[in-house]
Amino acid sequence: MRELSLHILDAAENSLEAEATLIEVTIEEDLAADRLTITIRDNGRGMSEEQLTRASDPFFTTRSARHVGLGIPLFKAAAERCNGSLTITSQLGKGTTLEATFQHSHIDRAPLGDITGTLLAIILSGSCDVHYIHRVDGREFAFHTGEVRARLGEIPLTHPKVRRWLEEFITAGETELLI
Amino acid sequence: MKLRELCRQLSLEVRTAPEKLDMEVTGGYATDLLSHAMAKAQAGNVWITLQGHPNIVAVASLLNLAGVIITEGMAPEPATLEKAKEQGIPILTTPLTTFTVVGKLSALGVRGVDET
Repeated sequence: MRELSLHILDAAENSLEAEATLIEVTIEEDLAADRLTITIRDNGRGMSEEQLTRASDPFFTTRSARHVGLGIPLFKAAAERCNGSLTITSQLGKGTTLEATFQHSHIDRAPLGDITGTLLAIILSGSCDVHYIHRVDGREFAFHTGEVRARLGEIPLTHPKVRRWLEEFITAGETELLI
Repeated sequence: MKLRELCRQLSLEVRTAPEKLDMEVTGGYATDLLSHAMAKAQAGNVWITLQGHPNIVAVASLLNLAGVIITEGMAPEPATLEKAKEQGIPILTTPLTTFTVVGKLSALGVRGVDET
């Protein structure tokens, strides 16, 4: 994939399929240690030990429509190509945590890409809260859709005006981190 | 053109699935990004890449590709060869670069997905 955000979107789709009500997306950029860590943690139904050991096998998929599943295998290969790794821990009934690390400066590391669009796609899927944390060398941009929802009361997150506000809010937060 | 003839013309080393070389090659696609291969390559295409990871077998199997050409003398991982054998996907290797392989294929009349 050309952008790491696409891997995040793909992993979040797995969380939604696992009926998570909260997805935590954490991006940690430690420039001193030359490390980029992406964590996607959910409170979905989790995986059995057997499912877990086969999650990185492209010839194993939870889908019945086709016989291969490449979401996690591609994410793992991307991390390993950049001197990193991908690990998944999971507990049935509790949830799943996926952590991918990359050498930040690796020449083959894809850029983060369209984080705003990715988060909006997850948030506007409607069924789940998102807790997002992006740290760059100790500075932080974070929000929780639960807090936004509480302030909005009856108004749904999918309302066009809320959607536009979210888009501007995330874009501004991300931009500020990079200055 | 059959895959067998293409292997002969380019002196490709057939690493797996020699029983599948009579497949008709419908065209070619070259990329090292697996997600792009998934999106663009067509059934019966040969895919030219320098990736040797087992994931290439999954992509080739998903799309029913005729075979995968691994360039620049890159050695496919043992797990890749094992999976390819199991799935009946021809893995072909060459010391040539992707650019040169694509040029030769083009001269042989193998067309890209945007030309067919």
